[in-house]
Amino acid sequence: MTNTLTRQAFLRRALAGGAALSVPGFLPSLAEGAAEEALAKTLVFSNWPLYIDINEKTKRHPSLDLFTKRTGIKVRYIEDINDNSQFFGKIQGPLSHGKSIGRDIIVMTDNSPYPALLIKKGWVEKLDKSALPNLKNLVKGLQHPAWDPKREYSLPWQSGMTGIAYNAKLTKPITSLDQLLTDKKLKGKVTLLANFGDTAGVVALANGDDPGKIDDAAFNRIVNKIKKAKSAGQIRQFTGNDYAGMLAKGDIVAALAFSGDVVQLHADNKNLQFAVPTAGGMIWTDNMLIPKGGDAHTASVYMNFYYDPKVAAMVEDYVNYICPVIGADKVLLKSDPEVAKNTLIFPTSAMRAKLHQIDPDALFNPDYKTKWQQLLGA
Amino acid sequence: MGFLHRHRRLTPYLLLGPGLAWLALFFVAPLGFLGHQSLETQDPIELTYTFKWAWHNYSDAITTYHTQLLRSFEYAGIATLIALLISYPLSYWIAFRGGRWKNVLLLFIVGPFFVTYLIRTLAWETILADQGFVADRLRDLHLLGADGRLLATSTAVVAGITYNFLPFMALPLYVSLEQIDQRLIEAAQDLYASRVRAFLRVTLPLSLPGIFAGTLLTFIPAAGDFINAQLLGTPNQAMIGNVIQSKFLELTDYPAAAALSFILMAIILVLIGIYARALGTERLTG
Amino acid sequence: MSANAEAMPMTRSQSAPAKVFAFARRHVLTLYALLAFGYLLLPISVVVLFSFNHPHGRFNYTWQGFTFDNWVHWDAVPGLRGALEASLEIAAISSVSATVLGALIALALVRYGFRGRGATNLLIFLPMSTPEIVLGASLLTLFLTMNVTTGFWTIVIAHVMFNISYVVVTVKARLVGFDRHLEEAAMDLGANEWTTFWRVTMPLIAPGILAALLLTFALSVDDFVITNFNAGTTVTFPLFVWGAARAAVFPQINVVGTAIFAVAVSAMLANVVWQNRRARRLA
Repeated sequence: MTNTLTRQAFLRRALAGGAALSVPGFLPSLAEGAAEEALAKTLVFSNWPLYIDINEKTKRHPSLDLFTKRTGIKVRYIEDINDNSQFFGKIQGPLSHGKSIGRDIIVMTDNSPYPALLIKKGWVEKLDKSALPNLKNLVKGLQHPAWDPKREYSLPWQSGMTGIAYNAKLTKPITSLDQLLTDKKLKGKVTLLANFGDTAGVVALANGDDPGKIDDAAFNRIVNKIKKAKSAGQIRQFTGNDYAGMLAKGDIVAALAFSGDVVQLHADNKNLQFAVPTAGGMIWTDNMLIPKGGDAHTASVYMNFYYDPKVAAMVEDYVNYICPVIGADKVLLKSDPEVAKNTLIFPTSAMRAKLHQIDPDALFNPDYKTKWQQLLGA
Repeated sequence: MGFLHRHRRLTPYLLLGPGLAWLALFFVAPLGFLGHQSLETQDPIELTYTFKWAWHNYSDAITTYHTQLLRSFEYAGIATLIALLISYPLSYWIAFRGGRWKNVLLLFIVGPFFVTYLIRTLAWETILADQGFVADRLRDLHLLGADGRLLATSTAVVAGITYNFLPFMALPLYVSLEQIDQRLIEAAQDLYASRVRAFLRVTLPLSLPGIFAGTLLTFIPAAGDFINAQLLGTPNQAMIGNVIQSKFLELTDYPAAAALSFILMAIILVLIGIYARALGTERLTG
Repeated sequence: MSANAEAMPMTRSQSAPAKVFAFARRHVLTLYALLAFGYLLLPISVVVLFSFNHPHGRFNYTWQGFTFDNWVHWDAVPGLRGALEASLEIAAISSVSATVLGALIALALVRYGFRGRGATNLLIFLPMSTPEIVLGASLLTLFLTMNVTTGFWTIVIAHVMFNISYVVVTVKARLVGFDRHLEEAAMDLGANEWTTFWRVTMPLIAPGILAALLLTFALSVDDFVITNFNAGTTVTFPLFVWGAARAAVFPQINVVGTAIFAVAVSAMLANVVWQNRRARRLA
């Protein structure tokens, strides 16, 4: 699973993808939607950093510029989401008082409690399905998540795998969680993810438990395993996205990491590899949601635009996480076959069989939350 | 102007009014609200907060986080001490040997302060990197084990705190030292005191107000710091600031965070009180 | 130059090693000072150096080649320009406001007698002795309880609040050394209070006011902790660095950091030179 994409290569491919889109006969449905309801002049879109296509030279986002060209709606794109809890902490205040947070679309991960919580508390708007004919392009496996079974409030942006990243130059391949936690050669040079949904899931799998159904006994097994590694000095720390810098620098040699990061980090350090752990890895999805006060119609128009395989391919070429739109891989096969064939970006069904999702009830359990914080904290 | 002239006695209150009102509104009142919030309880699932005279928040906070509390004061104390040891000779040198260049030399101390705090700390991440120059040299000299590292240790965190708050120690020390009348030192030496003795008996005591101000201005912010622990350390080095930050901004457990904030403030005020008593308050206002 | 109390006693004939030892002893403090300056400037030089780095990837931790590109395209990082503009705007508004409010308080404290002097001094002193995290957290509590949405203006409010104390201290120091006779002289010569204030008092305390303005501006641009609590979805430059540092560390961050540093140091240097000239002129 080697990957030799560089920044210049991203640029070339993004431009190629953009050229492919100017084929005429593009989305007549878009024009229809625009005629029916008034569209806002600006769409305010909050997202995670490095999560959309970007032209390195002009620093513009080609897919967003295309959207503006087609619909006349300007997009104010803000990369201010760095952590689910921290972002939620920021928006909780205004939303709980019924105030708008000035955003039309936000993106939150489903292995955190927040998408479900936002829906439960009524702090999100419903999608305007009349503007979303491309909804049919949503990958089958993501059509009915437990926390939004009819996809009334959310749509996936990208999915990703949580697995093991390792520096092939500094260590032999690390392919199992047990190896990560017990190989003495890695002592002090390993990090785990602070997010419960990621780390607990992978550890549960290594214990032989089902991460989709975590009970107290399974939870204790997870905590004990991590505690043991911690006291042995194996784990340097628990990280958010910041493991990436440490891997690139060489401060750590192996880590629980996200698939897309490893692909993107290749430009920093060519020796970084990604492996789905032998016992299984986790798959999570970042979802677009419309916070209360946001313009549901305009946001839905944008989402529909994104769910066109050609547009999704444009974004995918740069982002290199797992695309939720059917048909994007076929588009990329023509314009950027290397990306289309990269199993980290388009996993095979064999790989998908080894990927699991976290038990949503476990995410809401306050007892687990406290115990997990203590495990991470002191 | 005639109005002010006729109401002379009003003038000071009019001058004080706006500023003090601002402080009352945005410093004093918030503390009151914080206190109120510290006595609420959070329903973690519904995310609602109810006022319940929940004094247990305080006892819970202390029992759960006493490690971080102690650690914060430990780190802050060590950092303050090291800062004092580093700064004193430096401030002394500028004050006594600086001559015409005193003000320019001070820029060297204050200057680094103008690079954003976070960027300075990130620079330390580069300097102390595992595969970096400093770590490699230390490994060559066998001062660092082959597996050892500089970052993600308490040493790195304390070093970061010391560096970041050094100007707060050096400047008050300088101000105090600069004001010392050198003739006093000469007089002591005329009376057959050795240089060391003159320093210990004349210079040091006269610089005590500077030492007091410097240590306070360093210790207080250091105790509440969380950035150094976050960027240069691991959760094993977490200070109380990290906990408060996380509770407020991530877990939105406002009552617990508020209780911890008050506990931190209370301990600091007590420590200041003891410290002031020990050093003798009369000599300090000098 | 004032008499150096550290001067060595009479020189007498010394052997060479003794001379070296004497030389070392005399200059050990200077050597120490040089080392200390080196220590203080080490991270700064790294910041400046790495602003010219040409990383191939997302992180700016290892040296990978020299380029001027980052300086030319300093706003190439999305969101950086907006964050910097927000920081500068907030700093400008809050430093002016805090300086006005604080200077008035300083005037009152030094010039007038009034009841409650002790309480006022305490109120000024307390914010400086409260950890930033408590200041930020309590303000956030206020805003949440009063249902005020945090954002640009709450940041301004917070910055004015913590800056007032610094202004008072700075301006007070200048006022205390002020010679009242000059004002009396002006009034004897027929100037009314207003004119006296503007033509005599203000120019003489101007350096103090200016110093307060610069100080509060710098404190505001650099503030992270209090701002982090009260920014809502607004992003200032330090917040941008904090957020970006998770996913990537762009050299442009070093560029902006170096630029702010350079401007501040130049301003202070200019101030020092100006002060020296004035002192020489008035002497």
